[in-house]
Amino acid sequence: MQWTRIPMTEPLLKVENVAVSFRTAVGVTEAVRDVSYAVDRGMTLAVVGESGSGKSVTARAVMGMLAPNAIVGKDTRVWFDGEDLSTWSELELQRIRGKRISMIFQEPLTSLNPIYKIGDQVGEIIRVHRDIGKKALRKEVLRLLAEVQLPDPETRIDQYPHEMSGGQRQRVMIAMALANNPDLLIADEPTTALDVTVQAEILSLLKQLQTKHGMAVVLITHDLTVVSKVSDTVVVMRQGKVVESGVTAEVFANPQHPYTRHLIESEPKGRPDPLNEDAPVVIEGRNLGVTFSFNAGGFFRPLTKELKAVDDISARVRQGETLGVVGESGSGKTTLAMAMIRLGVFHRGEITFQGQRIDQLSRKELRPFRTKMQVVFQDPFSSLNPRMIIRQILEEGLVVNNIGGSASARDKIVRKALDDVQMPHAALERFPHEFSGGQRQRLAIARAIALNPEFILLDEPTSALDLSIQAQIIDLLRDLRRKHSLSYMFISHDLKVVRALCHNVIVMQHGKVMEAGPTAKVLENPETDYTRRLVDAAFNVVA
Amino acid sequence: MSDPTPQMSGAVTPPGAPSDHAMNAEKEGPSLSYWQLVRRRFRSNRWGMAGLIVSLLILLTAIFAPFIAPYSVETKDRNAIYSPPQTIRFIDEDGRLHGPFVLGFEEVMDPNTFEITFEPSYAQVIPLEFFAEGAEYQFLGMTFDTHLIAGADGQFVHLLGTDGLGRDVFSRMVYGARVTLLMGFLVMAAACVIGTLVGVTSGYFGGRTDTVIQRMIEFIKSFPDLPLYLALVAVLPRNADPITTFIMFAAIIVLLQWANLARELRGKVIAIRSVEFVRSAVAVGASDRRIILRHIVPNMSSHIIVWATYVLPEVILLESFLSFLGVGIQQPLVSWGVMLNAVRDFQSLAAAPWLLSPVAMIILSVLAFNALGDGMRDAMDPYSND
Repeated sequence: MQWTRIPMTEPLLKVENVAVSFRTAVGVTEAVRDVSYAVDRGMTLAVVGESGSGKSVTARAVMGMLAPNAIVGKDTRVWFDGEDLSTWSELELQRIRGKRISMIFQEPLTSLNPIYKIGDQVGEIIRVHRDIGKKALRKEVLRLLAEVQLPDPETRIDQYPHEMSGGQRQRVMIAMALANNPDLLIADEPTTALDVTVQAEILSLLKQLQTKHGMAVVLITHDLTVVSKVSDTVVVMRQGKVVESGVTAEVFANPQHPYTRHLIESEPKGRPDPLNEDAPVVIEGRNLGVTFSFNAGGFFRPLTKELKAVDDISARVRQGETLGVVGESGSGKTTLAMAMIRLGVFHRGEITFQGQRIDQLSRKELRPFRTKMQVVFQDPFSSLNPRMIIRQILEEGLVVNNIGGSASARDKIVRKALDDVQMPHAALERFPHEFSGGQRQRLAIARAIALNPEFILLDEPTSALDLSIQAQIIDLLRDLRRKHSLSYMFISHDLKVVRALCHNVIVMQHGKVMEAGPTAKVLENPETDYTRRLVDAAFNVVA
Repeated sequence: MSDPTPQMSGAVTPPGAPSDHAMNAEKEGPSLSYWQLVRRRFRSNRWGMAGLIVSLLILLTAIFAPFIAPYSVETKDRNAIYSPPQTIRFIDEDGRLHGPFVLGFEEVMDPNTFEITFEPSYAQVIPLEFFAEGAEYQFLGMTFDTHLIAGADGQFVHLLGTDGLGRDVFSRMVYGARVTLLMGFLVMAAACVIGTLVGVTSGYFGGRTDTVIQRMIEFIKSFPDLPLYLALVAVLPRNADPITTFIMFAAIIVLLQWANLARELRGKVIAIRSVEFVRSAVAVGASDRRIILRHIVPNMSSHIIVWATYVLPEVILLESFLSFLGVGIQQPLVSWGVMLNAVRDFQSLAAAPWLLSPVAMIILSVLAFNALGDGMRDAMDPYSND
């Protein structure tokens, strides 16, 4: 804060009437209109909104970092420390970017350059803005890496990004952002791409550093738990406009705008219906194992290493039951589930589906079972063929399995499936790209339901969706289970969703089961340290 | 749908309703299919549109060659050997405006060098007629005798001059477009079909099939192109009829071209086969055949089309080059390359530079097809937004 010229009562950053549109092939689209907000020194402002609400676009407009096809409105004003940045040239902006204003992005995996060492990348930021000697620079970088609590900074400084985990890379990004003691830090979804336990660590680190340096932070997020724990003031955005703003505690206690209320209420709630313990078992896997082998040696000294992605796991789902499978990325939960329905690699173990062994069947022999076990994938944007209309997508399973016979009979089944997922019949003749993420996920569920299955594997069906849509999809899944007495296997890393939907849960780490049992028991009295950390991260974000 | 009452909302986000992708313009207009979007994006690309128009003109020229060309390929004007191009004029000797006409030539001999040159002379004015009667030709099995341009009273008009046998260069160039483009499209179509089949098979089935096919492609790609063309053409029977030579020649080019597409597609298929909509199709019990035909190939189509528009100019260049060397298409078939074969030596080049006019057509068509391909690629790229 070396250049303070104005009284401290003036906010550090004040944006006024930000308006941004984009030129596209089909005309000009408005992304943000009339957005104003302010942050004081040392405070945290959270900008909340669902994807497409314009929260990141506004932040990029502040930094002057918009895409070339963006048009900024002429009334847009960005006051930073008493100066109007909106009148500055690109060259002038470059001088304060990374020095007085820094930014952290969502993807720690791609924000670092893979061919430079960590130390060089952090040092670069310092050298651009300061005249500093080689030895002093290295010392400064080491100090920064220690400050962001990167373990063993002396070794890390000479490592490349691929040698680090996502959380460690995000720490390096934070070190880069802090390198020149900025007055303002803009963090654009800094924890979204990370595992829950790592998320909590990164957030508490950011909080500590902010207090220590007296920075102002603009935190862009869609996660309301994070907002309520970390921010002082909050701005709620929707469709490019601010719908509500104010002190965080007040907004949460007494939301004024219906949209804010809707957002706050859409945290996953409720508990699963009681389970009939005597219901028949639908699918059961005993001692399942999946092993990936890869070549770890050189050309002349081949050495095959094995990775047990699924190590001797048994799982069982009864009719009407939802079994949750939780774990962080790389724990093997998806591999396990895909092996169970024989859609992925499968090596060892016994699988029975409604009393019939299916572990040794070929792909052709499995076909009669396919209609009974369906799958809904995580990413609704890649699970629908972009070149087919919705009717063709929903009909496909009926056509290949000769269900319905005539076109009109198939039409009836497809329409019923659309009713089930509460989508209008007009959707039938449209292409997937015309639908939003939540709508597409409904359509993916409709495709599964149309075959009238007994069992559906849900592979993180809500994690790519916005919070309020998540809640709707969970309600929908619960309704469908009741209506069709379905059984689910629900893969997730979000314990809140698991608590709302699953009767039993399996906690996985490194291909092994850490803990298994009724959801309520596992989440309330976790027996292992790992489960306890997961629960802490999910329900109390910053300790 | 992001609003709490999904039953009320239409498939397309109504204005004012919450959408998780308000920024995505595609959802706000009326329902646009992929191809409608492509067309829209293509139309806003001027360079691409120019390419499309020129390509279409060249294509039409080739199709309606007998109508556009005043004479047939073999018609010889014995009074005009190596006669230079005749300019179309509108103003006569006395400065009066006329209908279009050309001037006949007077042979002038230089008394020192004995070189004969052609001087346009007003002594012989040949008015041009449009949609005039001329030599008969067959088109779609019917006989016509109307030509776009002809000299009045059946007099010869050579807009681009004549060659050493008195044949009209313009007519031969128009007919040449037929052979050259036919070669281009044949090679393109065959290479696309083979490349797609092999590439998709290789990528989709993977494993040993993939290894075998990839080694085969590497083997084909490791041939040195030019010597191979020469060697393969050399083994073609000398006295084979021109049509057989033409087809064999096309087959040789296809042999070396399909491998590129197959390799590119294989990579794309490997990527797309693990995308979730393909796995969903497996999950509903679809067969390999269905997955390939309904899910994989349609999603490759933009790539194949773009590749095809790029390979066409390449084949045109290759054909003219090899025919120029005399190893490609054989007389009496006429292609642009065959025509250039006549100007192999410097004397004829210096004496009759108009024989190079097919070069202009080659340049024009290669530029046009490349511009078309570029425009297509930009329009079909789903990630580009402006």
